[in-house]
Amino acid sequence: MMADTINKVCVIGAGVMGAGIAAQVANAGVPVLLLDIVPKDGADRDVIAKGAVAKMLKTEPAPFMSPAAAKLVETGNIEDHLDRVAECDWIVEAVVERLDIKQALYARLEELKRPGTAVSSNTSTIPLGHLVEGRSEQFRQDFLITHFFNPPRYMRLIEIVTSEHTDAGVAAKVEQFVDHRMGKRIVRAKDTPGFIANRIGTYWLAVAINAAMDQGLTVEEADQIGGRPMGVPKTGIFGLIDLVGIDLMPLLAKSLSSTLPEGDAYFDTIRPLPLIDKMIAEGFTGRKGKGGFYRLDRKPDGTKAKQAIDLKTGEYRAEKKPERLPGRAEKDLAALVAAPGKVGDYAWAVLGPVLSYAAGLVGEAADDVVAIDDAMKLGYNWKFGPFELIDRMGPGKLAERLRAEGKKVPALLETAGDRPFYRVVDGKRQYLTAGGDYADVVRAEGVVLLEDIKLRSEPLLKNGSASAWDVGDGVVAFEFTGKMNALDEQVLSLLQKTIALVKSQYKALVIYNEGSNFSAGANLGLAMFAVNIAAWGEVDKLVVAGQQAYKALKYAPFPVVAAPAGMALGGGCEILLHADAIQAHAESYIGLVETGVGLVPGWGGNGELIDRLAKSPKMPKGPMPAAMKAFETISTAQVSRSAALAKDLGYLRKDDGITMNRDRLLADAKQKALSLVEGYQPPEKPVFRLPGAAGRVAFNGAVADFAKKGVATPYDVVVAGRLANIVTGGEADIIDEVSEDQLLKLERAAFMESVKDARTQARVEHMLETGKPLRN
Amino acid sequence: MTNIVIAGYARSPFTQAGKGALARVRPDDLTAQVIRGLIERTGVDASEIEDIILGCAFPEGEQGMNVARLIGLLADLPLSVGGMTVNRFCGSSMSAIHIAMGQIQIGAGEAFICAGIESMSRVPMGGYNPLPNPELAAARPGAYMGMGQTAENVATKYQITRAEQEKFAVASQKKAAEARTAGRLADEIVPIHTKAGDVTEDGLIRADTTEEVLAGLKPAFDKEGTVTAGTASPLTDGAAAVLVTSEEFANRHGLKILARIKSVGISGCEPETMGLGPIGSSKKALERAGISAGDLDVVEINEAFASQAIACIRDLGLKDETINKDGGAIAIGHPLGATGARIVGKAAALLARDGGQYALATQCIGGGQGIATVLERA
Repeated sequence: MMADTINKVCVIGAGVMGAGIAAQVANAGVPVLLLDIVPKDGADRDVIAKGAVAKMLKTEPAPFMSPAAAKLVETGNIEDHLDRVAECDWIVEAVVERLDIKQALYARLEELKRPGTAVSSNTSTIPLGHLVEGRSEQFRQDFLITHFFNPPRYMRLIEIVTSEHTDAGVAAKVEQFVDHRMGKRIVRAKDTPGFIANRIGTYWLAVAINAAMDQGLTVEEADQIGGRPMGVPKTGIFGLIDLVGIDLMPLLAKSLSSTLPEGDAYFDTIRPLPLIDKMIAEGFTGRKGKGGFYRLDRKPDGTKAKQAIDLKTGEYRAEKKPERLPGRAEKDLAALVAAPGKVGDYAWAVLGPVLSYAAGLVGEAADDVVAIDDAMKLGYNWKFGPFELIDRMGPGKLAERLRAEGKKVPALLETAGDRPFYRVVDGKRQYLTAGGDYADVVRAEGVVLLEDIKLRSEPLLKNGSASAWDVGDGVVAFEFTGKMNALDEQVLSLLQKTIALVKSQYKALVIYNEGSNFSAGANLGLAMFAVNIAAWGEVDKLVVAGQQAYKALKYAPFPVVAAPAGMALGGGCEILLHADAIQAHAESYIGLVETGVGLVPGWGGNGELIDRLAKSPKMPKGPMPAAMKAFETISTAQVSRSAALAKDLGYLRKDDGITMNRDRLLADAKQKALSLVEGYQPPEKPVFRLPGAAGRVAFNGAVADFAKKGVATPYDVVVAGRLANIVTGGEADIIDEVSEDQLLKLERAAFMESVKDARTQARVEHMLETGKPLRN
Repeated sequence: MTNIVIAGYARSPFTQAGKGALARVRPDDLTAQVIRGLIERTGVDASEIEDIILGCAFPEGEQGMNVARLIGLLADLPLSVGGMTVNRFCGSSMSAIHIAMGQIQIGAGEAFICAGIESMSRVPMGGYNPLPNPELAAARPGAYMGMGQTAENVATKYQITRAEQEKFAVASQKKAAEARTAGRLADEIVPIHTKAGDVTEDGLIRADTTEEVLAGLKPAFDKEGTVTAGTASPLTDGAAAVLVTSEEFANRHGLKILARIKSVGISGCEPETMGLGPIGSSKKALERAGISAGDLDVVEINEAFASQAIACIRDLGLKDETINKDGGAIAIGHPLGATGARIVGKAAALLARDGGQYALATQCIGGGQGIATVLERA
């Protein structure tokens, strides 16, 4: 490794944030020393840090991506082990938000750390200038703020604040690490209270709560209007507060109001909220407490009912689904704000102040609108940033309405006039600067996004469900474009065409897309349509088309790299298994889940998984181990909880790559594909040695035991039996060599048998209707 | 007939498979340490040993390749000492003792190390490549039946309630915990050196368990059943070894004789109720010894499951106070291949320690068998 890379990190403070940051460092494969104070009593002086790691191992969603990562965290205390910061290349401070405590710690660190080793604070409120008071010039050069969001594994935002003293090299080293290794998108913030996301986010929540109360809305109505139509996660506002904890609200208010400049609009939102005070006092702090604005009421008979709080009386009552939003309000922000009555009133009461507030912060909290939009999208999971929202509403209309109501129009909004904050010129996305000019939106060095490529080019091939793009350097990206990136006949036919195109004109192919999930698998709705009219021939054709397309991909005369992020399930998993290599985003949730809906993998997934497992050096010899592991994994529809865990399940090979930063996935996949181009030879067809009827007896026996235990349902047993027939090689004897084509025939037959079974159809229908598996 | 004796007994700590302190120890290394411990404790001259006979239920992977010979080499025994691996599932190392007896009787040696091993962490139960015969599986489902199901079958057949099984399991835990606290287990345990430090104590005994706690567990094998994880022996890592010699050899070399082997017996039974195996085999062995169950002062009956142990005790008319005085497999653990050597060694050691005339060591065997050994105070 290069001398100036970060090979070991120390995190001081093992609270939720410190521990979570340490876990994400470990997820990057880098050893980390996690220190906390020595407790007043107790024999084990490291118990606080140790306890934090132990707690994380039980936390859901899991802070660690794998058990191996957890082992990279070493624990200790700041009395006995602080001198070990000298071993570390980056020190992250995440102790309690008290200036005196942080300053005292820095004074000690100054003595112990190597000069040039970065120290960063995870403070969310204390200005950088105060933190380094009394420190040496060297320490100031090495110091910056790295503000992570909770939970650090899953939230992609990091706000970085530097000062004029901060050494550019030191900052670059940390930025390189948090971007490439910890997978965060960096937003540079100015040294102002709450930085960007929390400042706007806190204001937004306060405004939204106040407005709901003032206008007499129910929490359901407020969340309906303030949720999806504004591109806020479906939790809406009250649901979000329940999630993060209602008790956090007064704490945030206190810390922000102690540091915000006089006259900040946030002060106008502060008012007594007796209901919230009462909820916190009585332990109704949200999902972590007895309930929040919403709760699940568990009746003695075991049934559950969703309830919501009445904002006037403070009593829980049955949840009341509000009426549908009028007209285009669901999709069109301008229509939402203009809607008559409470819908438009509330939308405006929230958006007007919040968007104005955000516009006022350009120059103060952030350099540009891009930083603010990124912060809100990545730190608060907004689908659109404030300026993207303004563009959707129309900047001129927003200013006009503010003006009409006698409200202050932020200077930036005046500057914009009727011009949008974002535009595309010459295939480049540009944003409006504070000076009134447009500048290119610049991606971090090395980032390649299909989103950007699409602005400047046309697809090479395209149909209703997929498209193919030239992503440069002779590489084509094949993208699913259907709803949920579902796979259908059109995807398969375009894949065949893409293979032909790459063969004749390009070097390599990457299977990639920028949906929130790579693919949830075959389009079940479409398949059910064929099933309902008993068009078995059509279903069979689709199975064969998938098998042929995926094998064509596998044996194509050029390298294929699949690059999943998010869920890659069923057929979406099978396509990965047919690639020469996988470059997976660290947050990839991969699985052959067909049995959950009463099916078996039908597009070659069975053989590919067995082949991978059989070739793993860890696998014991003999006909059973690989077949057995494949059987276990597929019959229980196991989905990896991370890319690292997908290696354990055999979906990823040892040499497959993992990209931590979602923004870098395409670039890494391209790189991987290009590295395979020289001297590329398609893989040889595998030959399987499978256990035959004897193996089937063993598998079926194990499944029968599970049924007896009450773990497997009667139809699970049937489906597992069909799967057992495939993975054991059907009628093959143990000394026979089973070909790939024979396995494909077996899985096709098992798939067709399953799809014709009414119990499978019941499972599929149930899944389509409820999103949950039917356990028949 | 030559008199044959147990002239020493040692075992490793028994620990939980997968998570316990011995999970990362190779079974061959583990057994080599136990055998070295046995030789040191008994003072037997290793060059006088004819053979290592090693029982193992799943002799493959790290337990494969005639691991008995490899263990001899690992234990640094003289090259002249042989090694054979035998398999009778859970009865493997008791069979090893019986084979040694036969060898001594035919004049094929005077001193044998009879050992047993199972790392249930490192070699899965069933092995890596379980390949049942489909015809046999169809004709006799019991042949490959899971052990838990056989325990349920025994419970049903003998109408043994869940509460009875739990009472039995708690008693086993209490006896084992008391024995450990009183230091009565320390003599038999050879500390095992591991990379993470020495392992000196059993890892599975649950001193604090109660019938209330066990009553809260879910059935482990059949949702309508009565057998739980609390009334079954746990998956265990461990090794055990006894020194089997002619009485004349022991006396000539000044070895401490724990007990004389009086008789042995093997008996098959229905695979579906394999837990009843001890009944037939014990009856045979008692008859061959010319004694009755009432004459026994010490009984070591393997507790594969509480249900089958209770059924056998009841059917054979064994006296409660004689049963598993220092706890049984439910508490201590059941490393399949090692259990036979443990319970014969333990029964011999108890006769020597507590007095009495006769002891019985017996256990059930998957597939439908029982094996028994009657010992006599030397």
